Amino acid sequence: MSEIRFAGYGGQGIIRSGIIAGKAASIYDNKHATMSQSFGPEARGGACSSQLVVSDSKVLYPYITVADILVAMSQEGYDKFEPELSENGMLLMDEDLVKPKPPRGTMKVYPIPATRFAEQLGNKIVANVVMLGFFTAVADVVTYDAMKKAIPSSVPEKAVDLNLKAFDRGYEYGKELLQK
Amino acid sequence: MNSLISALHKGIDKSGIDRTKISVPSDIPFVPGVIKELGVDYFQTPRGRAIAFGTGLKLGNPGLKVIPVVGDLMTLGGNHFVHGGRRNMELLVLCVNNFIYKKIGGKPTPSMPAAFSPYSTFEEPFNFPHLGNSCGAVYTARWTALHTEELAQSISEALHKRGLSMIEVLAPGPDYYRDINDIESDILQFYYENAVVKNNEDPRNVAITPDEKIMVGKFTDKERPTFIDSYNVQHSKILKDKFTPHGTVSQEQKASGDKNV
Amino acid sequence: MKANPKDVLTGTYYIDGDVACGYGALAAGCKFVAGYPITPSTEAFEAMCRRGPQVGAVFIQMEDELGSMAAVIGAAWSGVKSMTITSGPGYSLMQENIGFGAMVETPFVLLNIQRGGPSTGVPTKTGQADMMQSRWGSHGDYEIIAIAPESPQEMFDYAIKAFNLAEKYRCPVMIMSDECVGHMTEKVVIPEADKIEVEPRRLFKGPAAEYAPYKPDPDLVPKMAKAGDGLKLYITGLVHDERGYPVKNEDYKAAYVRRLIDKIKRNKDKIIEIREEAVDDADVVVVSYGISSRVAIKGVEIARENGIKVGTLRLVTVWPFPDERITELARKVKAFVVPEINYGQIVFDVARCSHGHANVVLVPHGGAGVHNPNDIADAIEYAAKEKKKIQGVVEHKTRLEKLVFEGGYKLKE
Repeated sequence: MSEIRFAGYGGQGIIRSGIIAGKAASIYDNKHATMSQSFGPEARGGACSSQLVVSDSKVLYPYITVADILVAMSQEGYDKFEPELSENGMLLMDEDLVKPKPPRGTMKVYPIPATRFAEQLGNKIVANVVMLGFFTAVADVVTYDAMKKAIPSSVPEKAVDLNLKAFDRGYEYGKELLQK
Repeated sequence: MNSLISALHKGIDKSGIDRTKISVPSDIPFVPGVIKELGVDYFQTPRGRAIAFGTGLKLGNPGLKVIPVVGDLMTLGGNHFVHGGRRNMELLVLCVNNFIYKKIGGKPTPSMPAAFSPYSTFEEPFNFPHLGNSCGAVYTARWTALHTEELAQSISEALHKRGLSMIEVLAPGPDYYRDINDIESDILQFYYENAVVKNNEDPRNVAITPDEKIMVGKFTDKERPTFIDSYNVQHSKILKDKFTPHGTVSQEQKASGDKNV
Repeated sequence: MKANPKDVLTGTYYIDGDVACGYGALAAGCKFVAGYPITPSTEAFEAMCRRGPQVGAVFIQMEDELGSMAAVIGAAWSGVKSMTITSGPGYSLMQENIGFGAMVETPFVLLNIQRGGPSTGVPTKTGQADMMQSRWGSHGDYEIIAIAPESPQEMFDYAIKAFNLAEKYRCPVMIMSDECVGHMTEKVVIPEADKIEVEPRRLFKGPAAEYAPYKPDPDLVPKMAKAGDGLKLYITGLVHDERGYPVKNEDYKAAYVRRLIDKIKRNKDKIIEIREEAVDDADVVVVSYGISSRVAIKGVEIARENGIKVGTLRLVTVWPFPDERITELARKVKAFVVPEINYGQIVFDVARCSHGHANVVLVPHGGAGVHNPNDIADAIEYAAKEKKKIQGVVEHKTRLEKLVFEGGYKLKE
């Protein structure tokens, strides 16, 4: 079972990230995946997050107890959710937007300039999908194929190509990083 | 009473509408015999909810003609009336203004002018036609229950209006015909004698005050797209052929090629 | 009768419970939705507004919840399947017309996505504290059916069941979901229309003169009618006879209200759906519903690892309550443990039915979150070990509750 927190600020597609990863895991990888998003004042403008629990059996407890993976797209999101990340967990972060503290325990840190890559691809709105590609490569929770299948039905039709490109950019960067 | 019922009978006859297609949601208890004679479907709703209930009836089956007869109109039913008017929901609201809730012992209503309370009242009453007109009703009128012919005429006209019509009826409650006593018939007579017909008067000027004559007549008669018109136009525009317009499109609309809506 | 293919969005989706419930309602043939948007039920209303007009379902945003409920009952009498969607404060406003709907025996469905209460409470977080309100919320004696789904898939499936029960028993059916399930996104499989069974309206067919809207069939449920068929319907919230005409006679009242109650009570066995697991040799049975039944399994697993024989009974339908089954189990088990996101509602019905044979332990939760499974496990362990017979309900002190008490009704720093 993996407990994953996606954190950032409103407008970055943080909820969408949770939905795409959850959809890929549950519909295309045939696992169980439960996604919950945080509502209320924190969802508007400021910190925004979604939580995803992926498991081989039915997800009984829908929320995060100890996060295995934190995907941080903003400093505020990182500050808020770093404490719930397991000491053996994994931090994925946009290296231009998050300045992390020294890692605790055996925690692993994977930085990527996701927003910068998205800008290079033509639109920083796909930064979350660059990050999802990176997440797919380094976290081993959902498969590459499942993610590629989940993206087209989760983004606007005219943006499918850009999103798939963004996904591959993040995925390749992740694979390269792992080889180093 | 019975004058309202007989005006309803005459008005429906005049309108030529099939009685079986008429529904009367009301918070006023009519006796079953009256409803049977009228030949309509009757629903006694919780107080003040007749317009909201009627909204469901009309939208569920746009083929129905719905006549909410409301006693607690501007108290419990105030918000439903206001929004019914704004939406221009196709309802003929008969607002029975009996000035007192006789059945529960003469407590004042928002519409009660000062002269009819034992110790007088200090609150301003509503001017229903003005209120209805402001909320967007396409037809407003006021008659006393003794103006049977005029009331029947108004009912038949209003039944053919597309949108929310409102007729204020100055009358004792519909149960009264069973035990009209002298005072009530006196009051009714008093309304009738003090009423002056002023058709097309600006609804702003028709408030009932203790010292002046009571103005009756038809005050509003205008056209506006109904809720269902707007609902259909909006969804057709966006959903195109994925949307089948709800209910029937009126002849006028077909003729005008939907220019007005 | 099978569902209309046009109404069914067959496929596999990753959607939240609110949306799934909206799709389920449309699949069941719902053609009228009136509501007033309120968090956390808004997504269900939105789903129906988006898809409804494409399948001939009309929606209207009413001026308030009083009007919404009245319009839903009006629409039902116009001949269509209708529903409303709400939460907390809106649910309170609907009570007046819910009683009216029950009194005039109107089939309709109400979706309540429960949130933290009382009053405005915690609009964006979960709660299960409207359960008694669903049963007793309007004045006077009446019966309704309440269902508590635990996942988006069930939100779809039980929306259909809710409509079917409403038609079958001519009564209001409440889907008593909660924010956690409503806002939880999971895989939902929507089958083909011909795999979905929908209950048609129980309409009177015969000469108009013979119709009596409250003349019961042998199962105590009368035939429904609709406006506009020349039946001269007389429908009133006053106590009425079979024709629907008001009566003041006490005998009539007794007879009428008795049937209103009994048409649900006598058909209980057909209505009630419970799911049991490992209760046969259990020392402790966890009785739960909705999201709490899902979280409870986690607590049960922990308790089992510690060697306790524990079974589960999930109330899929909460009302009517399975009195007899709880009584039967009470004679076999040591105790019931009831986790619910309130300070004790359904637990008192469990206690009522156990007649002192088994201890009853409440695991309370103040809302705005779900139980910590360890608290449920602790309560199970306590219940298994307790040797004394304890009168009434034992309230288990959860981790959170302890902090509340130690801090003097503030959370201890």
